[in-house]
Amino acid sequence: MSDPIQDLRDLHALVVHPRDRSADELMQQVNRIGCNFDHFWPLPKNLPEKFDLVFVDVTDQSADSLKSLITSSSKSPCIVAIIGYENPSVLNLIFEIGAHSVLMKPVRAAGVLSCMLMARRFQQEQLSFKKDLKKLREKLENVQKVNDAKFILMRHRGITEREAYDLIRKQAMAKRTTTTEIAQSILNAESILSNMGGT
Amino acid sequence: MKTWKVGVLFSETGATSIIERSQLHGALLAIDQINARGGVLGRPIEPVRYDPASVVTRYGELAEKLIVEDKISVIFGCYMSSSRKEVLPVVERRNALFFYPTLYEGFEYSPNVIYGGACPNQNSVPLANYLMNSFGKRIFFVGSDYIYPRESNRVMRNVLRQGGGEVTGEVYFGLHAKADDFAAVVDEIMQVKPDAIFSTVVGQSCIEFYKAYHAAGGNGRICPIASLTTNEGEIHAIGPEASAGHITAAPYFRTINSPANRRFLKAYEQNFGSTVDVTSCCEAAYSQVYMFARALEETGEMDTECLREALLGASFDAPQGQIKIDPDNNHTYLQSRIAKVDDNGEFVIEFKVRRSIKPDPYLVYPAIHDWSFRTMKVAGGESRHE
Repeated sequence: MSDPIQDLRDLHALVVHPRDRSADELMQQVNRIGCNFDHFWPLPKNLPEKFDLVFVDVTDQSADSLKSLITSSSKSPCIVAIIGYENPSVLNLIFEIGAHSVLMKPVRAAGVLSCMLMARRFQQEQLSFKKDLKKLREKLENVQKVNDAKFILMRHRGITEREAYDLIRKQAMAKRTTTTEIAQSILNAESILSNMGGT
Repeated sequence: MKTWKVGVLFSETGATSIIERSQLHGALLAIDQINARGGVLGRPIEPVRYDPASVVTRYGELAEKLIVEDKISVIFGCYMSSSRKEVLPVVERRNALFFYPTLYEGFEYSPNVIYGGACPNQNSVPLANYLMNSFGKRIFFVGSDYIYPRESNRVMRNVLRQGGGEVTGEVYFGLHAKADDFAAVVDEIMQVKPDAIFSTVVGQSCIEFYKAYHAAGGNGRICPIASLTTNEGEIHAIGPEASAGHITAAPYFRTINSPANRRFLKAYEQNFGSTVDVTSCCEAAYSQVYMFARALEETGEMDTECLREALLGASFDAPQGQIKIDPDNNHTYLQSRIAKVDDNGEFVIEFKVRRSIKPDPYLVYPAIHDWSFRTMKVAGGESRHE
């Protein structure tokens, strides 16, 4: 995971907020912090790919239009919601759109930096968790496949589990492929053979 | 006669009183000079001063008192970051204007504060360059235990790493540390033999540390203590023998030989008897009062919004050279100089950056090779150049 503090000045930020005092305070502070930024208003339909972090005023916006904006960029940018009210319906909205952090109106300079960093860190953590989860899932599937293949070999050849595994591994090495691939081939072959037997 | 009342909040007693008294004098000198010329729009400036006695929480309480009881909306004061953090919420809540004439660690902006001292980008980078080029790449850190030293050391460590340097030790001490407390770290320094020491020890304990280093055989000409905060006041208290060879980076030194500085020093001597305690923080306080007075002349009222508008972007021919308040961040464009203490206990300016440096309070990783930080050699302690 990259260091959110070190990468701060490489960020492209976008402020989606009506041009008022809060927006000015926010943009001046983002400028002081030293990030590139742009300003959009009203809410655009699509989000250009270059933005890593989006400050968005969620007041009077529907969850659907906000979500469609956020998901329009394949980069899955970091979202900081700017809220005017702290009531449950607004809080629900920011959960629904998956905001990574929140700024309260009126926006003041102090706190913007921490908010950006917390949001970035939260988002990076989420991304890395998702990646890890995907990897683990694949791994689990592979282990399951190899296990199934081992049982097929054990049954057919009357060998032990250890011997079955060694057989799969040797095949994988000889064919320069993975044990999962070999296991998959065995499973495929077994399924074809058993189908043949059935007719 | 109606006066323009301003609050002045510097400690005249306690751990940081040496430096804060010099800031107080700088502010009072500027006020005296302005009043001697007829004040601002015919009305004199009246300083209302309280002594927070170097107790951090007192700064906030006294700022509140100045605003609520004395009905004052402009305050000059503070040295340590921790004391500024006490005053900050008070001036923001009451919408007063606060002038902070001290270098600090950056990462702050308040519309109610005008920052007159250096941020790390304005002096840490030139100092790190100088140390590595002149002495070597192994640097030992000693600091007081609060936010400024820790953040300064973080910046310094990054700049050193970029230049291939190495931090050979990092130790922190309480604000009231005595010579005995420094014995262990001085022993360690003698064993580790770094090329230079970067000190962010402030206040009274700074004097104790330099003396302890000298007493243990430390020699500033071989392995100097380099600092951003040790200036004329501390060097005077340390004495020429123990301070010779040590190095400080700052926007201002007393030995700058320019007409503006000569005038400033002459007036200071007339008011306070001698110039031994004139420091960069004193000069910053002096310049900030002048910049405030200029702004007040323009606005004719003490309203915070109006004064801020007049101050942002304003420049001033300070004793250090021209300075300017950066309208982007309320900090100040400052000069950057590096000076070495000579045998008489005076700073001799060795290097300076050609132009004033733009403040960049939110710079996380200053780049060592940034062209704007390049220093030029100063011949004869600047005297022939200005």
